[in-house]
Amino acid sequence: MSKQISRRDFLKLATAGAATTAVLTGCGPTSRFVDREPYLKMPEYTYNGMSTYYATTCRECAAACGLVVRTMQGRAIKVEGNANHPVNLGKTCARGQATLQGLYNPDRVENPVKQARGAQLSQETLDWNAAIQIVSDALQNTDPSEIAFLMGMAPDHLFDLVSDLANAIGAPAPVRFGALGMFEARATLSKAAENLFGKVSMPFFDLENADVVVSFGANFLETWLSPVAFTRGFAKMRRGNPERRGYFVQFEPRMSQTASKADEWIPLRPGTESLVALALGRLIAEARGGAVPAAFASIDPLTVASDAGLKLETLERLAQTLVNAHHPLVIPGGAALGQGNGLAAAESVLALNALLGNFGLPGGVFVSPLAPAQDAYHRPASAKEMADFIAKMKSGGVKVLFIHGVNPVFEMPKQFGFAEALASVPQVISFATFPDETALAADYILPDHHGLESWGYQRAVVSAKPVLSGAQPVVTPYFNTRATADVFLAAAALAGGKFAAALPFADEVAFIQSKLAGLVGEEGFFAAPEINSFTAYFQQYGGWWTNDPSLATPSAASAIAKRFTPAAAEFTGEGEFFFLPFVSPTLGEAGANKPWLQELADPTTTVMWNTWVEMNPETAHELGIENDDVVQIVSEAGGVEAPVYLYPAIRPDVIAMPFGQGHTAYGRFAAGRGVNPADVLGVHFNEAGDLAFAGMKVEVKKTGKKKILSRLESRIGVYGEGLEKE
Amino acid sequence: MTVDLNKLHAVGAIAEAAEGKWGMVIDMDLCTGCQACVAACAMENNIPYVEEEDAGYGRSMHWIRTERFWEGEYPEVKISGYQPMLCQQCGKAPCEPVCPAFATVHSQAEQLNLQVYNRCVGTRYCANNCPYQVRSFNWRDYQDSRVRPEITILANQFNPDVTVRRRGVMEKCTFCIQRIHKAQDKAKSEGREVEDGEFTTACAQACPANAITFGRIDHPESLVSQLARSPRAEHHLEELGTLPRVTYLKEG
Amino acid sequence: MADRKHHTSHEEHLREQRLMLDPMPRGKMNEMVMEAMHTTSWKFWLVFGLLAAIVAYALFYKWGVMILEGLGVAGVNRPSYWGIFLVNTVFWIGISHAGTFISAILRVFKAEFRRPFTRAAELMTTFGLVQAGFSIFMHMGRVWLSYWLMPIPNQRQLWPNFHSPLSWDLLAITTYLLSSTMYLFLPLIPDLAMARDRTPDGTWQKVFYRTLALGFRGTEGEWTHLRNALNIFAFAIIPVMFSVHTIVSWDFAMATRPGWSSTIFGPYFVIGALHSGMGAVVMVLAVVRGTMKNMKYFIRPEHFEAIGKLMLIISMAWAYFFFNDYIVQWYGGDKWTKELLHWHEAGPMGWMWFAMLIFNVAIPWATLWNKKWRSTPWLIFIVGMLINVGMWFERYIIVPISLTINRMPFTWRLYQPGIEVWLGIGTLAFFILLYMTASKLIPLIPVWEVQEGQMAHSLKKYGRETVVTVSELE
Repeated sequence: MSKQISRRDFLKLATAGAATTAVLTGCGPTSRFVDREPYLKMPEYTYNGMSTYYATTCRECAAACGLVVRTMQGRAIKVEGNANHPVNLGKTCARGQATLQGLYNPDRVENPVKQARGAQLSQETLDWNAAIQIVSDALQNTDPSEIAFLMGMAPDHLFDLVSDLANAIGAPAPVRFGALGMFEARATLSKAAENLFGKVSMPFFDLENADVVVSFGANFLETWLSPVAFTRGFAKMRRGNPERRGYFVQFEPRMSQTASKADEWIPLRPGTESLVALALGRLIAEARGGAVPAAFASIDPLTVASDAGLKLETLERLAQTLVNAHHPLVIPGGAALGQGNGLAAAESVLALNALLGNFGLPGGVFVSPLAPAQDAYHRPASAKEMADFIAKMKSGGVKVLFIHGVNPVFEMPKQFGFAEALASVPQVISFATFPDETALAADYILPDHHGLESWGYQRAVVSAKPVLSGAQPVVTPYFNTRATADVFLAAAALAGGKFAAALPFADEVAFIQSKLAGLVGEEGFFAAPEINSFTAYFQQYGGWWTNDPSLATPSAASAIAKRFTPAAAEFTGEGEFFFLPFVSPTLGEAGANKPWLQELADPTTTVMWNTWVEMNPETAHELGIENDDVVQIVSEAGGVEAPVYLYPAIRPDVIAMPFGQGHTAYGRFAAGRGVNPADVLGVHFNEAGDLAFAGMKVEVKKTGKKKILSRLESRIGVYGEGLEKE
Repeated sequence: MTVDLNKLHAVGAIAEAAEGKWGMVIDMDLCTGCQACVAACAMENNIPYVEEEDAGYGRSMHWIRTERFWEGEYPEVKISGYQPMLCQQCGKAPCEPVCPAFATVHSQAEQLNLQVYNRCVGTRYCANNCPYQVRSFNWRDYQDSRVRPEITILANQFNPDVTVRRRGVMEKCTFCIQRIHKAQDKAKSEGREVEDGEFTTACAQACPANAITFGRIDHPESLVSQLARSPRAEHHLEELGTLPRVTYLKEG
Repeated sequence: MADRKHHTSHEEHLREQRLMLDPMPRGKMNEMVMEAMHTTSWKFWLVFGLLAAIVAYALFYKWGVMILEGLGVAGVNRPSYWGIFLVNTVFWIGISHAGTFISAILRVFKAEFRRPFTRAAELMTTFGLVQAGFSIFMHMGRVWLSYWLMPIPNQRQLWPNFHSPLSWDLLAITTYLLSSTMYLFLPLIPDLAMARDRTPDGTWQKVFYRTLALGFRGTEGEWTHLRNALNIFAFAIIPVMFSVHTIVSWDFAMATRPGWSSTIFGPYFVIGALHSGMGAVVMVLAVVRGTMKNMKYFIRPEHFEAIGKLMLIISMAWAYFFFNDYIVQWYGGDKWTKELLHWHEAGPMGWMWFAMLIFNVAIPWATLWNKKWRSTPWLIFIVGMLINVGMWFERYIIVPISLTINRMPFTWRLYQPGIEVWLGIGTLAFFILLYMTASKLIPLIPVWEVQEGQMAHSLKKYGRETVVTVSELE
């Protein structure tokens, strides 16, 4: 198929049940590679009762799951998983399902507006030409070193475009940030991999082929890295082998949703994860006989057990289980890394895997491959890097700030002072789809399309196969929004000179095609001899990926040889309780504006529509606190008030709170609902520069107020309230 | 109902009468409680959200909910399995005989419990009599844009294959009957039978853990029938003789 | 009416005590009844206006709000899908039972003390059923389609589901309403004729009475027909009465719910209905006696005394059925039933369970055994009121409190009444309002029945003993 494909050929490509490209929606750009034919036959999307399916990529988090969206008469009706997509194999999470309530959200930025940093969304709408002029002027009239781009976590085409632009004009590289990355301590994980494997990369944990899995705080069934992929992996681990049921142990101070699926949940003292991992290593080495490798030599399991509040027998039994396992796997993640010694925890766990000898074996540890058309692994900014960025903003080093895909005023702890730093930036231009806190604090909001109205591609960060996930509009834009890529392209063209030279593309699709060009002719899920066919297939199948995994095997030697100086984490703050914020499994960091996500019961507490404070019932009893009593959680950084949920599966010395609510803007469903636990967090980092979000101690103060939490569960039936029996 | 009541007097006859058509197997060992099924169901079936106060007062409209109970005391505490609870499409459904208006009836063709929205007068007797408590009632006009202005735009997402219900009407899981019919129509137009796995319900389709399997339980070789023969299989409240079509696979 | 020249003090006492022995000339008695009907103080209109306002607001306005906004404004939820609506339905049907019971059963058994208050009781039946009807229609999600529950022939050949206890219920209540209204009307005819004859021409009342009296002139033939009809009705309505509340109980007993699925619910509900109904009758009689002119002549302590005895017996019977229901359920040992019984006593609404037993059993037993106490109108009024509260509690325990507990503990949830409280108050106000209206329109005392009784009663002396004799009338 070397010639330009005709529209009729193109329709043939769109086989039954598979996706067709959005050329049928009448979206402009693709028309260039399809010969127009007269409407002898109506396009199928205009038939009553006929659905059209489009493949695209989910933008609710950065995992890059493939979606197939069912549309009918130009409306997106239902999100389904793309069965071919290696990341999610046809599955979706709740947030992916509810993405349609983002698309058809009653509170979107409907027009470009001159926001002028107001408290409400401005009504002063702009013409898009004027908006592009503003961007163009900002690019031209500012010293490139004083231009800054702040973007969301997803490594997507827009990031590439902005990187190219920044690179060409000599501006600093765009900064990518997201609360999910912060609460995953993603930088810590890749730093540990860098330290032990000698390469900047993301480790890959082959969950599905493991038979004994020990996780240190990794909440991989909730929000961690790529939850749908890990949930599928978990299911295969559990029940994939008819001979043997996978065994799963989770070390975590609070029973997360992930831990609730564990066969053993071991509530260790926060901050002792690295010690326990090393102690397990020593016990394993001893159980196997022979010399104890250097990494584990200096640890005393008995002391560790007492420090962590565990029984030595538990560790011994677990060590034996790991020794007996065929495919043992230990995963570090989540709050275990978000502590003062988080890097040590990640490294000890990787070393433990090295000891178990699972590097490069099924069910073991690998290095994630780079995505197609990717030069190197770009990890999102750590909290430390964000702090530096904020410092630069505060010092007046940023004259123009472009923000897209991230809401740092909400997502970053208040203590970082992002909102104040914004005030020091003379011009802030937001491309927010929704009127979030950061967008409202901008001078202009030039709204991007919703993800389902957008072109693009996105790299999958965690995948055995290199995946470049494709996105296309499944519906025509509902509001007067414009793709941010197109805005930059138009602004650059308007500015002319080096700007136009940096981005010599007619539109977003042309830019995407330029990036896809390198894949033409490559062997993969599909192959196409020239770019137009390739692009058509790319949209049709929802991306391009290789047929085989290309995981690299890290070297175990340096990991085992590393000498640790084991120490429990230091905690900041004077309070009595360890503070453990976690990302709400149902809301994520940006789901609060979708009513059905609000209505979903939190898996472990079944609370809906609000924020709660989890507290062990014993602790609460001692403090004289009951369910629904509003307490104040006070740290050096400030305090938040939320009602208490007496959570039976949390250490008595730990207080946990979900992150995701507490918006002051972001639409009617989010604003004024719940509180943001990030407001309690202080500015403390671990060695990898990640926020030590789980490294604080807080006080709990009674307020005397009460707020009844809406729960799906029955307090009578589940906790026997009102049915007290002797 | 096609169940021969006389047969039920004989021991063992329940199994015989239990043969339904569509069935579901839910593996509780795999269910992670992630709520993807709930969200998928809501999106597919135009289920309204009821907001905080009503949701906390037992008025949430989910057609499927994940139940979970605690076992033991800290630190030996655990969640005794997430159990997605949805209409069990009982072969002998307690909801059916009590409706005075014939608004909930048994489908001869599909062996499902149908809820006829436009026949429902809202006595809520069916919901009282449902041992699984999986029926939800439209307490208010949750989907009326005059009551909720945001519905005007949110309604763009509504599935045109599924009726939008108004106040005063009972509703429940339908096993995505619109999908069943679509698949049947397609198969019929192609002159063949519906194949196992050709389509599935919204919840099963979304479930990231593949914990939900849907299909023909009257075809012994279908995946759902094979799974239902697992030694871990059990029916919820089986002792009531409701002949539920949803099989749960216990943990362990 | 024997000629009595000498009055012993004993006879005097007997006459004072017993209406049947204290005859009054027919004309005088008719005058008294008419006077009672026509004497209206400002207090009456005050109460009447107040009640009318309550009915307009609580019943009709609030109901309108609920119809427009949906049942969300009420307190019903999952799992308490039925709340006070059904409590009130059962309660009002219960109230309606005493009317028929007193009127029909006592008539069949020729209990003479019934005579002055059969009408008051029959009115309760009809007006109570009206409130029951309101309550059951209010609880429907789409009440504007309630006619679908009637077997109305229609193009699509859709009929109500006769498997459903609710369909039986509807038929039973309709039958009961029709038959009890006829049973109210039949003995009313002679009194309407009496009122017609004592109402001046040219008034609307005259038209009203003339129309309703159906041209009754009091011929022997008319009386014979009336008596025959009443006899047939009195016998025929008794099974209807029993069936109605049995069928109401089947709404619950036929369900597969712990606590509801109880075979004894039928008679338990019937006796419960009588319990509250008798309580209501004494309350009505006490009010009528206390507020209406000339009524102290017709309604005397002897009547309270007699009803008090019945109440005591019914209370004992209720206690027996309650105990039976409880012990069988408890002995059954079903896990969920045990949870439910525990919930009744020890749950947050446990006080209501104990209050029910105190009001329905302890207080009647402690007071009604005493002849003097049960003859005291204000005292028995209070007992009757407490019994009604107790019986309302009983229904509240059976409906929303029991609905909390089912076989899915994940869904157990408390019920907090909402707008249905207003609606309940509205039905109560409407009941009283209807009663007050009736008291101004129709003779509350069946004069002819009283006169008939007085003619049959006489005092005879056998030696020194004065004996009451009753001659067979029919």
